[in-house]
Order: sequence, then structure tokens, then C-alpha cells
Amino acid sequence: MAKAKLLTGCRAAAEGAKAAEVEVICSYPIRPYTAIMMELAKMVANGELNAEFVHGEGEHAQLSVVLGACAAGARAYTGSSGVGVTYAMEIYSPMAGGRYPVQMSIADRTLDPPGDFGSEHTDAMSTRDQGWLLGWACSPQEVYDNTLIAYRVGEDHRVMLPQMVCQDGYFISHIPDTVTLGEQSQVKEFLPPYRPIGPLSLTHPVSHGPQIRPDQGAPMDAQRAQTFLAVPKVIEEATADFNRIFGRSYDPFVEQYKLEDAEIAFFIQGAHSNTARSAVDRLRKQGVKAGMARLRWVRPWPTHQLAAALGHVKAVGVIETSTSYGGAMRGGNLIHELRASLYDLDDRPLVTSFMGGLGGETMWPADFDHIAKILTQAVTEKKVRNYVQWLGM
Amino acid sequence: MAKELPGYGTIDVPKDRVVPFGAVTPAPVCQQDLFQTSNWRIVRPVKDDEKCTRCLICYLSCPDACWVYKEEEDVMEWVNNFCKGCQICIQECPSGALTAAPELDFPDGVVRLNKPF
Repeated sequence: MAKAKLLTGCRAAAEGAKAAEVEVICSYPIRPYTAIMMELAKMVANGELNAEFVHGEGEHAQLSVVLGACAAGARAYTGSSGVGVTYAMEIYSPMAGGRYPVQMSIADRTLDPPGDFGSEHTDAMSTRDQGWLLGWACSPQEVYDNTLIAYRVGEDHRVMLPQMVCQDGYFISHIPDTVTLGEQSQVKEFLPPYRPIGPLSLTHPVSHGPQIRPDQGAPMDAQRAQTFLAVPKVIEEATADFNRIFGRSYDPFVEQYKLEDAEIAFFIQGAHSNTARSAVDRLRKQGVKAGMARLRWVRPWPTHQLAAALGHVKAVGVIETSTSYGGAMRGGNLIHELRASLYDLDDRPLVTSFMGGLGGETMWPADFDHIAKILTQAVTEKKVRNYVQWLGM
Repeated sequence: MAKELPGYGTIDVPKDRVVPFGAVTPAPVCQQDLFQTSNWRIVRPVKDDEKCTRCLICYLSCPDACWVYKEEEDVMEWVNNFCKGCQICIQECPSGALTAAPELDFPDGVVRLNKPF
């Protein structure tokens, strides 16, 4: 059994990419994710990792380089943060439509203006309709683990889709935590080599990314949607195998913390779930039946799993670390999808949302006490007063 | 859970409408007819073989690889199914061998087709 080390989320992502033996890496600097590339550059320079390290001239180029590398049959890796994620926006859809299972590691950062360095999920959340697999880790350990799980899911021939492996900037990317790296034998057992479908080849020439006709657009969209119907099963299989081989205990889609008898629940993704978990413990000592559901995948969205996990709860507080200005609830996006997931239940929970951790601010234990108070009030009044509450104002 | 929630349904794409995986097709594209893209053409380049010097500038300048040099016959061949009528070749031809002709002038003109291809 490998020994635990103290690693940042960025180092953990780089260790994950190294363990996956990525063959082509394309970088472009932007903090906080840039530390991943610094670590990988060192590994390549020191001969620990045999990969082609390409420095792109921007994020659009980064994504284009790894698309080409993947089309040629390489396991390709890239990443970004904040406005870097949005600068590459054009390439996300062709990457998914062309079925290139590239991995992009994101350490979240706020978008501009005003050029804040802090973490906010809006960067990667903005790409959620582009056909990628998308999910958040809540610890450096989970960053390492998700790097391997995402490659395994994305490269499965029933899937063949690119993956965004996200972590909160700074909270995860730059604060060291204990990480147990896998043995290479475990990685080999879990993650088979990448087998491309129809790669670029001199002996069997193929054309990638042709113009299709309008009448081919609808079936192609339907085929991509069809693929997403198959993804959950592949995620379940991969997570079960990962848990068995590496001795972990991940729920494939939703971490459920003390939800069985919970009356109120936090619904959250990413770093602040660690504070939420301790808040649940503290609240329970005070006699409040609190619980937490932590989302591991935003795409595919685990509709039925969330209905099963949260259906019995009386009130759910969605913690949004991203913005959707002018959206149905005028806060973030997670509440829209959660409410939609619970809508068909006969006795559905009350759901409201809390804008927290924006601009990279910490979510404090007191924030969760405040959330619990509003949720308890909603249970007593049998209604939510507002769709959204802005914390820390 | 007491109540069964709705599912996602099934998505059935008719066999004759299935698009190849990732739209990857055998190359070169002019040898297959899956993704023909000339149906928005309103003019096509017409070539005067007397003026053509086989300088291959049309071959180099075409963004869709629609000019091919046929070595046996020593002529340039136009690829009907992929030429979008952009007229770059006509602009670039140094010997004035190419002119633009309206699609309506041709019995097989794409603008005459009810269902293109």
C-alpha cells in the first residue's frame, strides 16, 4: 500500500496525469491551474514522464492541439482556469461531437471583470451544454482519483467523450492535503490503454471534422444524446472498479452524508462541501437533523439518484458557487436542475438556494448555520420565502 | 421510492439517417458521398482547357480540394460534389482559364434539385 503524501490539488492532478501515462500535454499559463503544468513540465524534463509537452499560444490553441493529438491516437491532456476556460469555448463542441476523449483539468477561477483571482465555478459551468463530461472534486485525493476515473469513462467505446475534471482554485488547487497515490499496477488494472476509433492514419486515411449537411445535424445530435444515456452505467462500472482496486468508497454520482434521517440538507459541489460536512456534524449535536448531498458529476446530471437521495428531505439548500444572472431563480444554475429533478415527486422537498463562496471568498461555518436557520424556517412555514439568498453581503 | 419517476425515453435514429461515429469518414472526401456540401452553390467554375496551363494554382488555392490533376489525361478535374462556388480559383487563375457560370445554366445545377443529393 502506497504511503499518503501531502499534495496540493494541482500536484495531485499532475500525478493523476502521470499515472495515466498521458502522451501529449498542451499548456498555457493562467493561475491557479498553471501549477499543474509546472509539475508536468518538471516530470517531463526529469524523464519521469514520456510525453510530448507543447506550449500553446493561448487556450484556443491548447484545445486545438490536444484535439489533433487525440485524433492521431494519443492520450491527451490539457487544462485551464477562469477566462482561459471561456477563451477556448469554440473548441468544446467539436471536441465532443468529434468524440475525442481528451481530458481538461480545471482549477476554477472567477471570470472577468473585475479580474478577481478567487475560485468560482462559473468558468467550467459555462461549458455544461457543450457535450463534455463534467464534475467536481472536493479534495486533492479526489482530484487524483477523478483524473483516472474520467479517463476510464471518457475513453470507454460506449462513451468516447472529453472530460472536465474540476477542482476549486486555491481551496483545493493550492492547499496541501493527504493524498494516497496508486501503485502503477493498480492504475494498469483500472485504466486500459487508449484505443482510438478511426484515428488519423497514413495507411487508412480518414477525414476528421467534415462539414455536415443540415439534414445530418438532427441525427448527429440525437446520436450524441443517445451516448449520454449510456454514460451513467459506465460511470457506475468505473467507480465500482476504482473503489475495489484502490480501496475507496465513492458513490458514483452523489456523496450522501447523514441524509437517511435528515430533515434539512445542503446540496453542494466542490471544496466548500468539507465545511458543509463539519457543519452537519455540529448541527446534529445541536439537535438539527441536517445532511449533505454532494454532486460529483454535473454532466451527466444524476436526476434519479438525486430524487432518491433527497426526495424524503423536507427542505434543501442549494449552495451555488457559480452565477446564472437572470436565470429562473436569479441565482446560480444548480437549483434549476435540482428543482427539475425533484419536480415529479409527489411529496417534494422545499428548495431554495444560497450564493456562497463567490469571488473566491471562504464559506464559513457560520454561513452554514445561517443556511440551516433559513431551511428550518422554511420547514416550519411550509414554504420558501425567496428562491435565492446572497451570503456574506 | 413510492412513485416511479419518468425515464429519458429511447432515442431511435433510423438506420438510413445514422451519421458515422464522430463524422469520421474515409479520405479523401471527394471519394465518398456522405458529406457532400455543394448544395449551397449558386455558381460553378467552368474551365477553358485551351487556356489552362496546368500551373496547379487552382489546386493550391481551393479550400475544399476541389481541383484534382489527372496525370494520364494531363487535365485539371473539378470535383462537383464539394465545390461550394466560392470562386477563389477563378480569382487566382493567372491565365484566365476559369469563369463563373450560374448553376441555373446546367441541367444538373444544384439549385434545381428538390432534395439535394
